[in-house]
Amino acid sequence: MVFVLCTLIDSMGSLCSRHRRSPADPEENEQTAEIERRIEQETKAEKHIQKLLLLGAGDSGKSTIFKQIKLLFQSGFDEAELKGYTPVIHANVYHTIKILYEGSKELSQSSEDSLKFIVSDENKEIGEKFSEIGGRLNYPRLTKEIAHEIGTLWRDSAIQETYVRGNELQLPDCAHFFMESLQRLSDVEYVPTKEDVLHARVRTTGVVEIQFSPVGENKKSGEVYRLFDVGGQKNERRKWIHLFEGVSAVIFCAAISEYDQTLFEDDNKNRMMETKELFEWILKQPCFEKTSFLLFLNKFDLFEKKVLKVPLNVCGWFKDYQPVSTGKQEIEHAYEFVKKKFEELYFQSTSPDRVDRVFKIYRTTALDQKLVKKTFKLVDETLRRRNLFEAGLL
Amino acid sequence: MPMFQPSRKDGGVLGLDGGGDGRILDVESAVKDGVLGGGAVAVYGGGGGGGEKLDLKKMIDELNLCEVPSVFICPISLEPMQDPVTLCTGQTYERSNILKWFSMGHYTCPTTMQELWDDTVTPNTTLHHLTYTWFSQKYVQMKKRSEDAEGRASELLANLKRVKGQARIRTLEELQRVVANHSTARKTVADEGGVALVSSLLGPFTSYAVGSEVVAILVNLSLTSEAKMSLMQPAKVSSVVDVLNEGSIETKINCVRLIEMLMEEKDFRRELVSSHSLLVALMRLVRNKRHPNGHLPGLTLLKSISTLKEVRSLIVSIGAIPQLLELIPVLNPECVELALFILDVLSSVPQGQQALKDCSDTIPTMVKLLMRITECCTDYALSILCSVCNLSPQECSLRAVDVGLAAKLLLVIQSGCSPALKQRAAELLKLCSLNYSDTIFISKCKLTRTIQ
Repeated sequence: MVFVLCTLIDSMGSLCSRHRRSPADPEENEQTAEIERRIEQETKAEKHIQKLLLLGAGDSGKSTIFKQIKLLFQSGFDEAELKGYTPVIHANVYHTIKILYEGSKELSQSSEDSLKFIVSDENKEIGEKFSEIGGRLNYPRLTKEIAHEIGTLWRDSAIQETYVRGNELQLPDCAHFFMESLQRLSDVEYVPTKEDVLHARVRTTGVVEIQFSPVGENKKSGEVYRLFDVGGQKNERRKWIHLFEGVSAVIFCAAISEYDQTLFEDDNKNRMMETKELFEWILKQPCFEKTSFLLFLNKFDLFEKKVLKVPLNVCGWFKDYQPVSTGKQEIEHAYEFVKKKFEELYFQSTSPDRVDRVFKIYRTTALDQKLVKKTFKLVDETLRRRNLFEAGLL
Repeated sequence: MPMFQPSRKDGGVLGLDGGGDGRILDVESAVKDGVLGGGAVAVYGGGGGGGEKLDLKKMIDELNLCEVPSVFICPISLEPMQDPVTLCTGQTYERSNILKWFSMGHYTCPTTMQELWDDTVTPNTTLHHLTYTWFSQKYVQMKKRSEDAEGRASELLANLKRVKGQARIRTLEELQRVVANHSTARKTVADEGGVALVSSLLGPFTSYAVGSEVVAILVNLSLTSEAKMSLMQPAKVSSVVDVLNEGSIETKINCVRLIEMLMEEKDFRRELVSSHSLLVALMRLVRNKRHPNGHLPGLTLLKSISTLKEVRSLIVSIGAIPQLLELIPVLNPECVELALFILDVLSSVPQGQQALKDCSDTIPTMVKLLMRITECCTDYALSILCSVCNLSPQECSLRAVDVGLAAKLLLVIQSGCSPALKQRAAELLKLCSLNYSDTIFISKCKLTRTIQ
């Protein structure tokens, strides 16, 4: 492509004028015209694609949302793709039991009631074996026998006690789900289900994207969206974030259930504080001056269960929280408190000239497909209204 | 029932085609076919004739129509006649009105100006019958429409329990129209649990399309205490605030009204309005220069909210003060008074006082407003100026005098305003004069007066 243009420039001296094409190269003229046409078409098409950027700290649920969109609005996962997740899921299983076993050893030394963390002798053998298994890439296939052993260890009371203290370890959220499905996962003919795939945990590296169009009720095709998922860990974010200038919206995922957990990369840093700082940083980026912000307060299902047992004020940001009641009412009250904190943060980090940016908060549970679909319908509505508004039609 | 048999000759009088044998025409049909003007009236049977089951006065009042056939109207009062009487000149008037005319000593016919040779007034039975029939039919029609509306409202509520998606939105839209136009429908909705049903559609997953219609319906209804309390759940209020943010002007105004209705409730939860999003959305409505009809409702709500002490510093923190100051020049007097009230209330918290001082528009705007609009406005403007000058006397009073404060204060003192106001003006004048020697100060007053 480039070469054709260059020769043309050389031979003619002007690319702009269509009239002054050299009559001696009709074929090259044809090619150039074709290329120019295609570039024009693609640029036009690009303009209509709404780009969405998924941001958030590690483990906030971005990739789960990504997978849900794939399941909802694209063709989902075919058999090959599903099978491709088997090694990931098996790795998650090994990883989980390893963390639990080593966690129990740690707690049996450091905790006051250390006795309850001491694993029974037979299970200790199993535990040691799994501890020795090498890095992720070397996990052996999950056979029935191995699954049986893991199951036995999982049911050890010490391990169960360790599980309760899971927030102090870097235990993945899928732990319980996979541990309770060991028999199924180790089956020779095992093909992961959609739910398994949604639970599977893999650190996203690089950028992944999908293009989709949410089909409306009347089966008419709606807007075309392109969703980008970038990794969440602390890395040189500031170097590449500006590449996303001009996206229609940033979907920021914040896992509200992790107010009592610490970072994977830094055991001393509270995850919620990290999310807070990240959100603040992103809001202040000049490249997002005019971008709509959609905040997904994610992992509500885990939040619901946790908030009645673990008070919110273990997290520095929420230290002024006062519980008012119990049960469902208290859960709602706690959720509203967290929501208000994020709102406050948003408005404090937004300069007056940016206050007209769209900002909306959504309560999500990324694992629940119906909920994600509902949420996304609302997102679609908001973005479409925004476009109409900007086009002066509202 | 009077019968009318048109002869061929007279066929054209009432605009009827008298062709063929004489058609029997009764008053009802005459009225029905619209021969009297005032539009054709569909007959639903009943009404008119001998028995005056429906009281004419009651019907006239209830219908309250603008377009009544001119023949029914009394030339004196321009109201429909309930007891028409005819004079010897052939002109017809309302009995009480013409008798009053006579009692004032006039013996002329008001419209023809002729002297009356006969002072008897003859009841115009024919006209009375026609009037009665016409109003009866209109009345029955209205009642039918009302009943229709009630029935329709009932149907729509039943529908609402079943449908989803686009159908739900359409049902809500129609329900809103019915409720807005018919008071009877509103009662039906209230009686059949419609309020709870409609309110239940508000929540964290409410789309804009549904939310805006729900709000539009609720503002038309009178809500019970219970209904308001249930609407005060944070998730529901959140969805109303979202609609306030994203909505068209009419929808925004509806949201404001709904929030006001909730605030009237005795057990109103103040944390609900202590919300960044609500206040920012409200300010956006207030600041909208393209749609000035939003100013009054927005400012009224903001005023109500500003009376809550806890929320004041929040209002200041979202930058309301410079925004209001910038807006004042384009507001109508009623809105200016509201804006000044709000600014005055905000000046009572330290952040507000500071923000007022920091904003360069404060002093010139306030000085300009003194003695300009109403005494209330002058009162608030003066109060704000006092607050700002007390914070930093030297700097502010200098600036204020430079833009003509002294002369304005003299005006206040010499005016018919309340003594308290004059007293405050005098005190402020004294404060300002401390910066200057007497002669210079007097010249400042004179100079600025000349400028004026």
